[in-house]
Amino acid sequence: MEELSTIRKLNFNVCMQCGKCTGSCPVFPKSKLNPRRLMLETAYLTSPLTMHPPLNIYEKSEVWDCTTCSTCSYRCPREVEPMDVLIGLRGLLIEQGRVPPTLGDALEGVYKYGNPWGLSPSKRSEWAQDLEVKYVSEGEKAELLYFVGCAASYDSRAQEVARALVKNLNTLGVDFSILGNKETCCGNEVYSLGEKGLFEILVEKNLSLLDQYGISRILTTSPHCFNAFKNKYGKDLTVQHYTQYFADLIDKGKLKFPQRVEKVVTYQDPCFLGKHNDIYDEPRKIIENIPGIKLVELNLSRGRSVCCEGGGGRMWYDIPGERGRLAETRVKEAIDVGADILAVACPFCLLTFDDAIKTTGNEDKIQVMDIMELVAEAFLPSNVQCK
Amino acid sequence: MNVIVCVKHVPETAEAEIAIHESGKRIKTENLVFDINEWDDYAVEEAVLLKEKLGGSVTAVTVGPEDADGTLRKCLARGADRAVRLTDKAFEGSDSYAIAKILYKAIKNLPFDLILTGAQAGDDGCAQVGVVLAELLGIPHVTMVKKVESIEGLVKVERELEGGLEEIMELKLPALLAVQTGINEPRYISIMGIRKAMKKEIKVLSLKDVGLTEEEVGESGSWITVEKMFIPPVEKEAEILTGGVDEIATKIVETLRAKGLI
Repeated sequence: MEELSTIRKLNFNVCMQCGKCTGSCPVFPKSKLNPRRLMLETAYLTSPLTMHPPLNIYEKSEVWDCTTCSTCSYRCPREVEPMDVLIGLRGLLIEQGRVPPTLGDALEGVYKYGNPWGLSPSKRSEWAQDLEVKYVSEGEKAELLYFVGCAASYDSRAQEVARALVKNLNTLGVDFSILGNKETCCGNEVYSLGEKGLFEILVEKNLSLLDQYGISRILTTSPHCFNAFKNKYGKDLTVQHYTQYFADLIDKGKLKFPQRVEKVVTYQDPCFLGKHNDIYDEPRKIIENIPGIKLVELNLSRGRSVCCEGGGGRMWYDIPGERGRLAETRVKEAIDVGADILAVACPFCLLTFDDAIKTTGNEDKIQVMDIMELVAEAFLPSNVQCK
Repeated sequence: MNVIVCVKHVPETAEAEIAIHESGKRIKTENLVFDINEWDDYAVEEAVLLKEKLGGSVTAVTVGPEDADGTLRKCLARGADRAVRLTDKAFEGSDSYAIAKILYKAIKNLPFDLILTGAQAGDDGCAQVGVVLAELLGIPHVTMVKKVESIEGLVKVERELEGGLEEIMELKLPALLAVQTGINEPRYISIMGIRKAMKKEIKVLSLKDVGLTEEEVGESGSWITVEKMFIPPVEKEAEILTGGVDEIATKIVETLRAKGLI
């Protein structure tokens, strides 16, 4: 019960069982997951008092339903951090090997191949083959490292975002490099799944890579990688999500868009940018600066935004017997506010929404685009119109 | 129930790009990721499940180089109590028969009720070691096992046959079962679990320790020699059939007949 030590550090005595966590949890309506009850049961588990029956964590398979969107921790009036407790409980199950098989495969994939899909590391940078990029791993030094991340490296749809980002950086004349096939998983999802041992290995590997290549600044595609480097590595790393980087350029007056993109756009706040890191304005600044775009807000946005259900390992795990993903509801909301484009700033949001648009049969009504793809459209030298 | 599980440390080839070694007799393994053979992983899990239910112990045995410790550590983390690695320069180039001989010598004096092996290995796919080992030990064996149940000195097993058929058999112990994938759901092995397993001892035995001579193992002790290994050439003989369903079906049958395939 070594894992309980992490949980013990959290102060349960201040939990007043208000239930705000459960009321806020986006998966609660379709899962047995009940954060408030888990807090109570875990509190008794770690205190000299007892509760009958005591918490049997091995019967709580619903802890795998959590997306680690952090709404519970974000809204908790007493800062009890229910999400961290839940990750700690996942850790207990991990140590016993009681992990849903698809999540076990994802973790094994990271351990053996450096990505949760278990794809070959030698194919990691294939997406960049025909692009102008420097490889720091081959001695091509640059001040800024673009950390691509697993999804944008391997998934064909997410690769388009990496390609757009590279083209945009090149348009702006930014000196940057990538790690090529040396890049490995950042570990954010590994951490969220409670696999502490594996996360430690990844931290060690990545820090030694950064050190080996003398990297001082990191730029990420994914808010998940950004979060890991910024908050979980225990080092003061200089890391930015691309939305911060491009918003800075706008502030400095260095970003001008030659093209108009005549579209109504709404924006999904990714949990790992918004609720986890309070980054709400930067993505909106980029969207609003693109001439022609009309930004409309979703009914639930910023801190009230609803998770797409791609985080916390949920890219590789469906709630048993669930009907309809949250992304499907979000797509309908986006159509309701009159958006032609649902803009995202996270590869997991991109993939979950891409699926949701197809499963709800709304391909002709709305399209999901990453902010980097919108920027690439606005950078186009010719008069090519948005798709 | 005391169970011995024979495991193999193999390269993972599903996602990898395979290249042939300069010798032309094996694949290049430098850039490949090695892990426990998939079938063996199920066998170890089954052994641990039996131990958890019936008590006793689990011993994992492998023939391989020092690197194979990675596989043994995984077995220990999964719940095996002991691990034995059989390592000797002379073992290199052994075929299934020679490997079975090495295992036989190491296992014959150990106390056991049951031996589990994977039905086959992911690298050479020979599926022979288990069967030969059982013959050398003079114990009954069943291959392609999908279910194991222990009944007083017997094991009742279900084995997979062709075309969706299954066969149920009872064996007297001691016996050897070659396990098919899907017999169970191997539990996840955490990194912490592997780290804890680092503290457990791995017993290493050599040619001399098991009482074999150089002639009995390696290429000289094998019945099979690899002449040449090559990647099958990509054939480009494809014909797209058109027309209605009946018409296409008739054409398929005609083509298969013409090529002597049916």
